[in-house]
Amino acid sequence: MPMDFSTYIIQLNDAILAENGPNLAYLLRPTSPHGKELVKEFRNPTRATMGRYEGCMQSPWDDIAIQYVFVCTHVAKKRYIEAFKEESQLVSLFLRFFTENRGWTLPALFSILRDLRDLAMDADFHAKYNNQKSECMEDSARTIAKAFGHCMTDRTSPPDQSRKWGVYYVVGLVLKSYFRIKRISLSKNILRALQANTDIPPLSAFPRSHQVTYRYYIGMLSFLNEEFEKAEEELTLAFYNCHIEAHSNQERILAYLIPLRILKGHLPSAELMKRFPVLDEIFAPFITAIRTGDLKSFDQALDKWEVRLLELNLWFSLEKARELCIRGLFRKMWVATGKGTRIPISMFHTALTVSGIDVVEDEAECLVANMIYKNFIRGYISHEKQMVVLAAANTFPRVADRPSPLAMI
Amino acid sequence: MSSAASNSKAAESSKVPEQPQQEPQPHVGVLEEDDEFEEFAAADWNDSETDLAHLAGGAPGAAKSGGDKLWEDNWDDDDIEDEFSVQLRNELAKTKESTAMES
Repeated sequence: MPMDFSTYIIQLNDAILAENGPNLAYLLRPTSPHGKELVKEFRNPTRATMGRYEGCMQSPWDDIAIQYVFVCTHVAKKRYIEAFKEESQLVSLFLRFFTENRGWTLPALFSILRDLRDLAMDADFHAKYNNQKSECMEDSARTIAKAFGHCMTDRTSPPDQSRKWGVYYVVGLVLKSYFRIKRISLSKNILRALQANTDIPPLSAFPRSHQVTYRYYIGMLSFLNEEFEKAEEELTLAFYNCHIEAHSNQERILAYLIPLRILKGHLPSAELMKRFPVLDEIFAPFITAIRTGDLKSFDQALDKWEVRLLELNLWFSLEKARELCIRGLFRKMWVATGKGTRIPISMFHTALTVSGIDVVEDEAECLVANMIYKNFIRGYISHEKQMVVLAAANTFPRVADRPSPLAMI
Repeated sequence: MSSAASNSKAAESSKVPEQPQQEPQPHVGVLEEDDEFEEFAAADWNDSETDLAHLAGGAPGAAKSGGDKLWEDNWDDDDIEDEFSVQLRNELAKTKESTAMES
């Protein structure tokens, strides 16, 4: 039997009385089957015709139910901007109820915030398609940030029933929105608010989906700010805690984790790369070149994929990884010349020339000095004799053994 | 709730169709700009459903020497028979000769 509005109201009421968050989420989702049935029942609902239902439930639920009919109607008629506006109104009404209730409401909050974001995305997409200006995504980010505030400020619920159990999920949604509208500098305020609050349970106590999404975005923010140590830490935890079947999320994490781990001196194994063919295609040429000290191929790969790497913000980190390749090249030269402890600069110069690097000897000397400074090579340069004097033992330490490798970038 | 709405459905593996290009750039599938970190199908899960499972208690990302088979921290070898090494050795020999003549 199709659900009519009075049944809908009874079901909403039951879900609220039973404090059944997931059911409430289901009832408020525009894609649920009853949404279509309500659209049929009302055909062209207006404020005036719907006004008679005010007071049919305790406030604000009468208005929320009415809003729901508007949202579903606009969605059905593909009026995206209107659908978004009505959903925003629905969320505002819900937040009134939310601030006076405990954590059982969180599944419904998460669900309507997701719907709000999706509708904003649709609205902006269609506006752009029709050459119209639309800032629904900005609006939705503001609303989601407000909801975050309402999770944070729960001072009355018992700890296990606190709205604070929503903070990381909602922050994840806010950050996702800031990334989408390319306003990531806005993240600072919300993260400051999160860190200032000392009585939030530890991140590890939250569901893994919340942890992983949060760490991914913190890792990405750190990566883009060139705080590579922090980025590596967060993305490593995001990757290892991610559900193994969430393949595209794992892929997304690894796209930024792999260059960071390379810089640290850990190359992804063949076993790992086999699981992610798309990433293998991007990174394999660089990894092979580092393994073999083949600087020419490394530079060719940088050159060939420059545009794509720049778009993905990966160019800078891979360009930095070139140092590992130079180390490999110099080591190869050292092996080829019989692993001596005294190697003329000219030999280093020749190794570069053979790799297609056209530099004068002074520049080769500079490169060697840099390699020594960054602990890739142990030794010193005798400038007068144009000679590199190498340590007899552990001449080329493993890249991973250097002290704080990511701080040296 | 059409195109973009599907972004919050978990575990979708739609690949962007490949565009024929003159300069072959890697087509990075899910890394395309309009895709984003997806909603998870479940809220929570166990270690056994993650890459922590193969670590046997070791630290994540420790590399093979630390019990993590996904990463390698030791790739140096002394094989100098590959094509590049042979070319390098020939050139180094020439450099050595000329350096010896100068001094």
